[in-house]
Amino acid sequence: MLIELEGVTKIYNQGQINEVVALRDIDLRIKEHTLNCLRGASGCGKSTLLSIIGCVIQPTSGRTAIAGLQPARMPDRFLTVHRRRCIGFIFQNYNILPALTVRENITLPLVPLGLSRRAMAERVERLLQQFSIGHRGNFPAGRISGGELQRVAIARALVNDPPPSSWQTNPRPISTAV
Amino acid sequence: MNGGLTKHLNIIDYTLSSLWRRRARNASVLIVFAGVIFLVASFQFVTEALTETALDSLRTAPEITIQRLSAGRQTEVPLDYGEQVASIHGVREVVPRIWGYYFDEVTGANLTVIGVDLERMPLGEKLNLTLAEGEVPEPGASGWVLVGRSIKRIVESKGTAYLSLFRPDLSQASYAITGVFDAVTDVLTNDLIVMDIGDARDLFHISPAAATDLCVYVANLEEVPNIARKIAAALPDARVLTRSQISQTYQVVFGWRSGFASVCLLTALAAFVIFAWDKASGLSPEERREITILKILGWETSDILAVRFWEGALVAGGAFIAGCTGAYIHVAYFDASLFRSVMVGWSVIHPSLRLVPSLQVSTLLLIFCFTVLPYMAATVIPAWRSAIVPTDSALSGM
Ligand SMILES: Nc1ncnc2c1ncn2[C@@H]1O[C@H](COP(=O)(O)OP(=O)(O)O)[C@@H](O)[C@H]1O
Ligand SMILES: [Mg+2]
Repeated sequence: MLIELEGVTKIYNQGQINEVVALRDIDLRIKEHTLNCLRGASGCGKSTLLSIIGCVIQPTSGRTAIAGLQPARMPDRFLTVHRRRCIGFIFQNYNILPALTVRENITLPLVPLGLSRRAMAERVERLLQQFSIGHRGNFPAGRISGGELQRVAIARALVNDPPPSSWQTNPRPISTAV
Repeated sequence: MNGGLTKHLNIIDYTLSSLWRRRARNASVLIVFAGVIFLVASFQFVTEALTETALDSLRTAPEITIQRLSAGRQTEVPLDYGEQVASIHGVREVVPRIWGYYFDEVTGANLTVIGVDLERMPLGEKLNLTLAEGEVPEPGASGWVLVGRSIKRIVESKGTAYLSLFRPDLSQASYAITGVFDAVTDVLTNDLIVMDIGDARDLFHISPAAATDLCVYVANLEEVPNIARKIAAALPDARVLTRSQISQTYQVVFGWRSGFASVCLLTALAAFVIFAWDKASGLSPEERREITILKILGWETSDILAVRFWEGALVAGGAFIAGCTGAYIHVAYFDASLFRSVMVGWSVIHPSLRLVPSLQVSTLLLIFCFTVLPYMAATVIPAWRSAIVPTDSALSGM
């Protein structure tokens, strides 16, 4: 099982006047190599659930196992390392840095991985071609169209995909749309 | 290649491109910062070079100087005092000296005139070493003067080889310039006139039985404090100054001058620190957003701090090197022309001394601590505060 959630509850601002129960007692199982879609009314907690799966926030209670790791027991530092190895993010508002070029934006998740410059460039180039944005590579991300921006966000979410040779040992990255 | 090292190189790459992206802002900070370091460093170099020069020149001064006080003011010393002092055990020689100030109405300069007795002054030959041109005349000669360089220039500009001064009764006395002091000693000799003691007596109308002060030369330097005490006991109305006391006075004078200017510089420095703090600490929402995004994308807090550290180090380090190099050139090759008026000038005539800054590690370290460190702190700490916020609450702002 790639993702397992058991009795996950998330309460924002617990104990305060503005307390929000965003998730209550969620069970969820997702297998490797599947494509899943989460639907629901606005404000029902989709983003919250994906943030928990993406190890960005911790559930208030319940048990989670994400790609073999149990985030509840992990310090923030480990989650960061886990995130950059196994998880790709596409945000609702993309969260692309407008001052950086398209190429630099896609490279960002690779910087702390310690890959060589060549290896980074190869991966980024492959994705630029795959998403037909090669001709925008050196444009500042703030100056491309909305559709292109979306493709940049997807490319960035996939860039930390481990190379085919190590697929057997590494779990395939999870891409979440938050 | 080692993953940790490559990662760090990648981070430096990222830093360089982000510095370049904000090149206008970074260049302006670098220029202002280099300017401040330039001022502070120039100033520090000048103070040190000046103190050295002054203390150097003092080495030829007598071990003990005797003055006489009357109603708390300095007056003439009777020459009999000299005989009394000469009888004290350990005193090698007592030489009367005359000195005074001469106000030159044409240039508005206050010149220092010293009359020396070459026949009795043990350091007569040493005086030769301080001359850039000419030499000290044979003992017994009169009508000669040794002058500082600015006086020589004034005389030359009048188109004569003689220095003319007025006695109190306004009669004129003329002296042949036989030597000019070396530029190295300018800080002390620039406005100095040395002449024969008899000529000086004549110039100031001082009685033959008196002098302005007495120079006491001592056989054994260890005995100086002891002998000074004995002289003070024997001559109740005398003020006894030892060379070390005089050198302390110089240091206080330089200290005061540099203290005054330091206050001005510290103000500039404080202004810069506030400016730097403002620039660096007011993390714009954009920068805060960048930090949060980087964290979610898998950057550790230490990676983000490394970027800020390198940013600060490159800007501050560049400014430090530029500022210190500029200061050295300013002091060594342009004689600290910007500080001239505060630092030197025992009289209105400003000495044009050759300053040789002694590059001391401690000085550079001091400047480093007062400039680079605050700036680094101002760049790294705000980023750190923003980066340690867990992604949890950071995300809520998105
Ligand atoms: N950081 C937060 N602090 C407080 N309340 C939050 C926070 N994030 C989301 N919420 C609330 O939690 C509920 C679920 O939000 P979210 O998961 O973003 O919904 P969705 O993505 O399904 O539209 C909403 O009522 C929202 O207002
Ligand atoms: Mg949502």
